[in-house]
Amino acid sequence: MAILAVENLSFTYPDEEECALQAIDFSVEAGEFITIMGQSGCGKSTLLRHLKRELAPHGTKTGNITYQQTNLADLEARTAASEIGFVMQNPENQIITDKVWHELAFGLENLGVDTLTIRRRVAEMASFFGIQKWFRQDTATLSGGQKQLVNLAAVMVMQPKILLLDEPTSQLDPIAAMEFITTLKKLNQELGLTVILIEHRLEDVLPLADRVIVMDKGTIQFDGEPTALLPTLSQLNLLEALPSSMRIFYNLNGTGQPPLTVKEGRTWLSKQAINQTMLPIQEDIKRQPVLEVKGVYFRYDKHADDVLRGLDLTIGEGELFTLLGGNGTGKTTALKVLAGLEKAYRGDVKVFGKKINKYGHNELYREVLGVLPQDPKVLFLEKTVRLDLETMCTSLQLPTDRLQEVVSLLDIAYLLERHPYDLSGGEQQKAALAKLLLLQPKIILLDEPTKGLDVRAKQQLAQILRSLQQQDVTLVIVTHDIEFSAKYSDRCALFFDGIVVSEGMPRTFYSGNNFYTTAAHRISRNQLVNAITPEDVVTLCKS
Amino acid sequence: MKSFETYHPIVLFVYFVSVIGITMFFMHPIYVSLSFLAAVLMNSILFGAHFWKRSWVYVLLFLGMAIINPLISHNGEMVLFYVNHNAVTVEAIAYGMAIALMLLAVLLWFKVYNDTMTSDKFIYLFGRIVPVFALVISITLRLVPLFKRQIKQITQAQKTIGMDYAVGNIWHRIKSIVHIFSILLTWALENTIETADAMKARGYGLPKRTTFSLFRFELRDTIVLSLIGILTIGTVVGSFIGNTTFYFYPTFSPIEFNWYNVLFYIIYTMLLLLPVVIELKERWQWRSLQSKI
Amino acid sequence: MQELKTNPLRNIVASIIVFVIIPIVLYIGIAFLGDRKFYFISVTIALLACVPFFISLEQKRTQTREILLIAVMSALSVAGRLLFYLVAAFKPVAAITIISGIYLGAEAGFLTGALSALVSNIYFGQGPWTPFQMFMWGIIGFIAGLLAKTGIMEKKTALILYGVFAGILFSFGMDVWGVMSLTGIFTWEAYTAALVTAIPFTITYAVSNVIFLLLLAKPIGEKLERIKKKYGLME
Repeated sequence: MAILAVENLSFTYPDEEECALQAIDFSVEAGEFITIMGQSGCGKSTLLRHLKRELAPHGTKTGNITYQQTNLADLEARTAASEIGFVMQNPENQIITDKVWHELAFGLENLGVDTLTIRRRVAEMASFFGIQKWFRQDTATLSGGQKQLVNLAAVMVMQPKILLLDEPTSQLDPIAAMEFITTLKKLNQELGLTVILIEHRLEDVLPLADRVIVMDKGTIQFDGEPTALLPTLSQLNLLEALPSSMRIFYNLNGTGQPPLTVKEGRTWLSKQAINQTMLPIQEDIKRQPVLEVKGVYFRYDKHADDVLRGLDLTIGEGELFTLLGGNGTGKTTALKVLAGLEKAYRGDVKVFGKKINKYGHNELYREVLGVLPQDPKVLFLEKTVRLDLETMCTSLQLPTDRLQEVVSLLDIAYLLERHPYDLSGGEQQKAALAKLLLLQPKIILLDEPTKGLDVRAKQQLAQILRSLQQQDVTLVIVTHDIEFSAKYSDRCALFFDGIVVSEGMPRTFYSGNNFYTTAAHRISRNQLVNAITPEDVVTLCKS
Repeated sequence: MKSFETYHPIVLFVYFVSVIGITMFFMHPIYVSLSFLAAVLMNSILFGAHFWKRSWVYVLLFLGMAIINPLISHNGEMVLFYVNHNAVTVEAIAYGMAIALMLLAVLLWFKVYNDTMTSDKFIYLFGRIVPVFALVISITLRLVPLFKRQIKQITQAQKTIGMDYAVGNIWHRIKSIVHIFSILLTWALENTIETADAMKARGYGLPKRTTFSLFRFELRDTIVLSLIGILTIGTVVGSFIGNTTFYFYPTFSPIEFNWYNVLFYIIYTMLLLLPVVIELKERWQWRSLQSKI
Repeated sequence: MQELKTNPLRNIVASIIVFVIIPIVLYIGIAFLGDRKFYFISVTIALLACVPFFISLEQKRTQTREILLIAVMSALSVAGRLLFYLVAAFKPVAAITIISGIYLGAEAGFLTGALSALVSNIYFGQGPWTPFQMFMWGIIGFIAGLLAKTGIMEKKTALILYGVFAGILFSFGMDVWGVMSLTGIFTWEAYTAALVTAIPFTITYAVSNVIFLLLLAKPIGEKLERIKKKYGLME
């Protein structure tokens, strides 16, 4: 019997003509794991919020949602709050109190549960999630991944029957995301919890899902097993969102069950005919060095440990360079030192042959170097994108025609009248980039630019970066995103323990790594020498 | 004060209210001196060398405060000399010193308080009487470090687009600071919406909310709380009998050392030294435990 | 803008405090505490004055977003106080409290001020001054809220005057505490002397209030309006 059923649900936001949701019909069995996907603006978040009564958006709604045969609207308040749990995207904003233990207890306090019961349930949850070590800590001291686990645990103490999650891992690094997904799997498989998850990082999630729902323009386009996804997704041009093995399968016109995981992909590929085993290796282009780092040491204060321990790095003009590395290794710190925002206590950073501290305080950031921060919101001042860019032009006395140039380069004319906070993640990033480009930097440093972006937004970002490169702008990207780096960078380097341990062109770099490499390489390693993207595999296999 | 800290927040709070209250309101020289000495002892146990290194600040404070009174107050019988036809009297100097000593004692007790009553205990106490206010404090305490971090991010980002608040003329600096604030505010307010949603999603606003805490009231808390109660009542009783009454003006009233005066002094001293005694007892117990192993 | 709702329980408690508890406090102080009466009475009254506001907050329990806004505004002023304490003149606390009062109502103004004092002293250290600071900042926000109801605060001159007034009020109020701490009793001579020595501080307070108010009031107002409009806040 269905635990949750949505019948003919349509919804329109106030002051808008188009339906956000149109005739949505589906039901969920107890214990199912359902993944919802679709590009941003397809209505998936709106749908998920309708399933949680307290968060249902305002607007005109028709149709019915029932939870265990009761209309959601008629559900008793306590049942509605506790039995349907909701975890949102941003780990930070969902935390309410200052202590981890208090955060776990918060929901139960609201339900009016007595102290002894709260103590027991909180203890159970903390043990299940392995939170006991930071149980008494301040929430502000946790990492993003830990915060999101606390958020999940804080919902789980209320003993929900259904868990709704809206892109819970999009702000996490790959390791933390994997840990989060593993916890979800455990909750689903060991406790029989019903899970409905919106996700665009499908590599880890798809193998867990019993069912996938694909949405587009407010309607459900597909509802079924993950292995049957391919035709719908190719129609919607969303194949890029799929795991590498499925994409290889599709592009080689595979038949039968498509492989979901790396392991399945490997088995499947081993049965395919191979045309060539190696792609030609391009010559490294000799470039004029524009950013040179020599023996740089850095620590945050006198008594702290070194974060950079003799970092050496040379970046050439017009190249797209990605610096990769695990979380907390100091990649962002390295970027800040390169940007002159933090000062090395030993060693030199040279920009265009001149030491970075020899630049006057405004000289460096005008027409030389720009930084795109991880969270583009720290750049937005005004209430529309246009005002924001104009204020920047007037306060720094920049020529006004630059604004027009930047707007057409980034193709953001349609965003100008909107509030920066009403934009999607990808659009916000473009608006922030526009602000930087007004200063016409020759080198741009980008901190985790693909974080939280969906496939479409990533492709657009790549296009913009390419067009900047054509204008001889040098790009340095710090990222966790191996797939993005493999596909788009000219050169990449692995940062570990304060130094660069290996660097090279992506093809040699990734085919030389065993663990820290792309899914496509892991799938094809036994048969192909240097394929690092699904496209590479396809090229080598097709005759 | 490792062991005193672990008592239930109510016990700690009652203790500090009692000690700081008595210190603030009884201007008897013996009482003020006892409290001051106990506060110094507590501070040196808690902060050790760090406290003594900074002790010159308190000496300066003491001198500064002690001088003010004789300059303002010209009461008293024992005139030392005249400044601009105003008498400077021994009583006024003594009163100034007494009040300076009292203020120092209060300050030093508050230092102990600040170290012992951490924010979670403080929030717990508020939560007993005004739960929503306690929740608001807790939310605020989460936001402060978050905002500090965000201010740093914003400041750096603004620096790279030419709005560095640490350079330029005063107007540029003010404008940059206001920009930072403004960006922070938008960010904070927009995030608030999501936090409000998260609160509602977890059932905030349902009737009959309870307040949970990790603190448990144990037998040892009852014992110490009763001790604090008895000693405080003892001291207050002493005050009603007139034991704490002391006049500086028109001239000093006598300080007596009858058996019952001394008894009340001892009661007060016991109250003041209670945390130290608890600490010593625990250390002794540890030592005997270790010697058995 | 948020209307100042009449709140029965708060009014009852406020009346009890004014007509019953405060006279008792006065009596106890005068009858038993001799010289220390001024101190005792003022501390107790400063604390009691906050009680009605706490009660009204308890009754606002279900207004999640309002509670959060008070927390955000307080945290903003505390973070500001923590970060810019090197730039001596720049303490945004009073200005943010005033803006809270103007845009969120008199009660929220009081609570923002009182909470800012309480929480910032968690970082800087609580002391006997805490109740006074809570009361002074609270009342500055409260009066701003009352004035805003008349619509006068939309004028720039009114904002400037109120910024100066708030600076002076804070200084005068805290000097009452200072005088009583230092001399034990309250005399006008000592108070005047204290006010004179505090003139540089008073000017600093007033000037920084005015600067912050002029630069922040409008943007903060717009941002709050947007939030209210977009999310149906505080309806």
